[in-house]
Amino acid sequence: MKRARNIAGYAWAVACVVAVLATFIGNDYFSAKLASATGVTISPWYSGGEIVRSIDHGAYRTVIRRPVFDGLIGERKEGFIQIEWQPVTALPPVIEDGIDFTGDGKEDFAFRLDTIAGRGTLTPRNPSVIAVETLVKVNQGWVARIQLRKVS
Amino acid sequence: MTKEHPSQGKTVGVRQSPGKSFLLALPMMLLTLMMMSGGKIPADPQRLFVFAVTYLFFNLLFFLMIHTGKTDRYRATAFITYALLFIVSFISHMFEARGSMSLSEEKIILCEVPFCHLVIPMTLIPAALTKTIIFPGMITGGFASIASMFTIWIGASLSLGRGWCSWGCFFGGLDDAFSRILKKPLLRKIDPRWTYLPWAVLLAVVLTAAAFLSPTYCTWLCPFKTVTEFQAVTSFKILVQTIIFVSLFIALVIVLPLLTKRRTQCSLFCPFGAMQGLTNRINVFDVRIDPHICTNCKRCVKACPTLSVTEESVRAGRPLMSCMKCGTCVDVCPSGAAAFHVRGTPVEGNRNIKRLLFLYAAFLFLAIFSGGTIQDGLSRIIRLITTGSMI
Repeated sequence: MKRARNIAGYAWAVACVVAVLATFIGNDYFSAKLASATGVTISPWYSGGEIVRSIDHGAYRTVIRRPVFDGLIGERKEGFIQIEWQPVTALPPVIEDGIDFTGDGKEDFAFRLDTIAGRGTLTPRNPSVIAVETLVKVNQGWVARIQLRKVS
Repeated sequence: MTKEHPSQGKTVGVRQSPGKSFLLALPMMLLTLMMMSGGKIPADPQRLFVFAVTYLFFNLLFFLMIHTGKTDRYRATAFITYALLFIVSFISHMFEARGSMSLSEEKIILCEVPFCHLVIPMTLIPAALTKTIIFPGMITGGFASIASMFTIWIGASLSLGRGWCSWGCFFGGLDDAFSRILKKPLLRKIDPRWTYLPWAVLLAVVLTAAAFLSPTYCTWLCPFKTVTEFQAVTSFKILVQTIIFVSLFIALVIVLPLLTKRRTQCSLFCPFGAMQGLTNRINVFDVRIDPHICTNCKRCVKACPTLSVTEESVRAGRPLMSCMKCGTCVDVCPSGAAAFHVRGTPVEGNRNIKRLLFLYAAFLFLAIFSGGTIQDGLSRIIRLITTGSMI
């Protein structure tokens, strides 16, 4: 028994050296496998949530993502919705958009984006729409996050 | 192999002759050549020079580890060099890509923030319950992706356990460096109850991260943001966060290691380190103190930079779970009672083989993981000298 434990110990120690090599040589492979096997994605609190609709304006488009209220278990009372305008090269100096994210056919808020001055003006038409949380220019276009609150 | 008598007051080493040391270092030379070059020696003269310097640096250190039988001083040389050149390389990259060290809102929105192992404990509960990672990084691809860091962490945990904190972590070399500046500590007494603090920090950050779905340690506490990247101060909240992490950096990474000669950030605060201690339970390598040889001189207790060797643990024959396998206790032990050990094997067995097996795994990890960063850092310094700019 002692001898078996001895051999197992040394074999495991040698396997550790192999594990170090495998970690680096197979990093790309193992990373891809780990990502696909676990199916994890970036939290919508960072990624902005999945795209639910895209409105084509000809030269540019408005991308609407799903409202994010995700909590650890269930949903939170406060969240946001991310709207994007892209591509950056085709955006007019001023964009005025009415957004219906609830899908009830009524505009939930209007947003005026001044792409020259980098200013956004929010006009809530729904009590769940609170304020502009973030407005930032990225390489593809402009991104706005609008703070939302669940209204029962 | 030579062994000196404890009464002579000299360290019992496992010195090897230069020829035998060369032969034992040969596998490391070949493996590091293969891994650091990726099978292709650089053709550009400057890159070739940097590659050669890095390669020789690592292999000389490994040769000396084997030849002298000492571990910690050569490990620390590589480990501290890694931490310093990591900062040079990282900050240069930040300036190159963004023009500053501050993290822009754009990078956060685009989820392009480099992922670091310190975030891992906070991501586990949300990942298990929501199948999402609460960090604005990339799952795969790009620089320091989440899956890539997880893979490295799993590999390190399997092969080194908490040895990661002394052989892999690119931040650990900073407080290790500051803890070595003074010859004697100015603050000798540290209440052992402080060693529970990292567990408290771990519990707090894991629970708050799960509650707020935000990596709270990174946002509020991580001292290493001072030398890597941080959010631009655009609000009072971010100003408070900045004051907190800069203060923690000064206190835990510079001042306390200087005064105590201990790695205070790593052993008294880091939540990742605390969690990593758990992986010591499943790792094959550990440090043992043979009670039959131990003279109870307590040198290991005084020297351990991570407060992992206590009088009780010496009596129990092994350091605490927080041991980072740096080798300090093994090096200072005058009787040779403290030694690297392979689980399942007898404590009194051939110590040199056990030490070598650990060193092959640990040093190889350090050399491969840090090789690219050290080369990049050196290139930046050469560029600074020759052109006046690191970018």
